[in-house]
Amino acid sequence: MKKQLNFKVWLVLLAISILAVFIVKWDIRLNVVAAIIMAFFMLKFLLVAFYFMELKKANVFWKWAVTLFVSLFSAIVLIVF
Amino acid sequence: MDLVKENSKNIYYPPGGILLWIIIFLELFTFGIALIAMVVYSKNEPEVFHNSRLLLNTTFGLINTIFLITSGFFMTQVVINFKALDNKKSTFYLKLTMLGGVLFLILKSIEYYSKMEAGLTVNHNTFFTFYWMLTLFHVIHVIVGLVILSSVYVGLNRKNKVLELDDVEASATFWHMCDLIWLLLFPIIYLIF
Repeated sequence: MKKQLNFKVWLVLLAISILAVFIVKWDIRLNVVAAIIMAFFMLKFLLVAFYFMELKKANVFWKWAVTLFVSLFSAIVLIVF
Repeated sequence: MDLVKENSKNIYYPPGGILLWIIIFLELFTFGIALIAMVVYSKNEPEVFHNSRLLLNTTFGLINTIFLITSGFFMTQVVINFKALDNKKSTFYLKLTMLGGVLFLILKSIEYYSKMEAGLTVNHNTFFTFYWMLTLFHVIHVIVGLVILSSVYVGLNRKNKVLELDDVEASATFWHMCDLIWLLLFPIIYLIF
């Protein structure tokens, strides 16, 4: 069960990574591209942390700490960008 | 079926151990602040950053992402099989995990070599100063991770059982941290500028 779930997460991670590279080549506004790339980054980061690092089984403090870090980082990058 | 029970719900016992998670946050803040500084500097020289980004091989970056993500997936299998007391499968997946790390380092070396051949060294411009410093710092983490995984491999293959679940989980958490750092670096350095 857990093996299958991790396998699905791995497939999603691969798909998002490949998609992010193709989106860069689309002829759309740079800010929009950056927002999509950062959204994909957040998703990948949280999937690795929650499923591969088993954070979903951890205390809520650690879940919020990781989510807060990744959200703050992405927000600051997008605001500065 | 897991044959080993654990209590990760306790705030002091996150998977991998609290000390490792403190290190992970320190690393994430260090890389995060450096990457934000990179984005701030890019506002002064947007064309330099854009043109420099185009000199990077995005395909290499993507393949390296795939190597690390796949390696991380195999590491989850090492932990699952170790909990199920299946050392043979754990060893098999550990070899695949380490292979992913080695392939990452080989491709990174090829990338570094081509950059040096083209004269795109650390002094070339601000973008490449950040590129070299951040990616080399990450490479050091991957090398340290491989050393840790090698020690797990040795422990798994000892006749008298010396390896505990905590050791394997902590090693896995460190290895996944290398994934996380790369996931931070890849979109900023290779994609957004």
